Amino acid sequence: MARNPDKSKPIPLIALLLAWLVPGAGHAYLGRTRRAVIIFLTVSATFWAGVAMGGVMTVDHQAERWWFIAEMFTGVHGLIGWHRAQRVYDKVPIDRELEMSSSAEADPSLHQQMLIDAAMQAKGVVLVHPTDTVARAYAGVAGLLNLLCIFDATMLALMGIAGEPVAEGVARREPQPREAP
Amino acid sequence: MTAGALFVNPLTIPSGWLLWLMLPLLAAVATVYKTIRTDNLRRLPLEILVLMVYMVVGLLALGAGLWLVLEYWP
Repeated sequence: MARNPDKSKPIPLIALLLAWLVPGAGHAYLGRTRRAVIIFLTVSATFWAGVAMGGVMTVDHQAERWWFIAEMFTGVHGLIGWHRAQRVYDKVPIDRELEMSSSAEADPSLHQQMLIDAAMQAKGVVLVHPTDTVARAYAGVAGLLNLLCIFDATMLALMGIAGEPVAEGVARREPQPREAP
Repeated sequence: MTAGALFVNPLTIPSGWLLWLMLPLLAAVATVYKTIRTDNLRRLPLEILVLMVYMVVGLLALGAGLWLVLEYWP
């Protein structure tokens, strides 16, 4: 397989950062624009389909740490999701008196978690089975798919490959030599 | 449910929908994988479809195998 030669060699670190920040941007940087659009649409749709099913607490670093790490690979989407979940945590109205009294108990952190759970339940944002599984699988798989794209874009940049591949068997139109009169 | 609540409050998903919700996820996996692997983007839809069929058949075979083990294992 022949590759299109490119004059300027892509920088792997830029490809990696772009591919993480915006899904598909790494491939766009390498001149693979159509692939970049497909990657962006697929990863974004999968992530936000998960958030649509699971709600704001789909990206929850306290409840599901491993899924959260996978979701963070979607770059800007994951960061927006994390920010939205943090805003919900910040707005949870915890009874300060109860919080103070819990400090005297054997496990105050457990008591505080129970208070947070109760407040979340009152707001109607708590994820329950089977929605939590489906929502986090969608958002997490979107992140893992983007990890694949990050790896691909970085490896292509390391190998100095830019532009769409030229398939074998496709004849290039060479300039024909002029016939002598 | 309003559009705003759609991304805030979780939906209630019936248990019977779980297997069907696997299909869009498989489509996403097949799309991204084939998008970065294929050399000719014109063949992309066909390659995605073929890979999706492979994955569905593979998962069905795996599910059937595990069901047989659970049912008939002594």
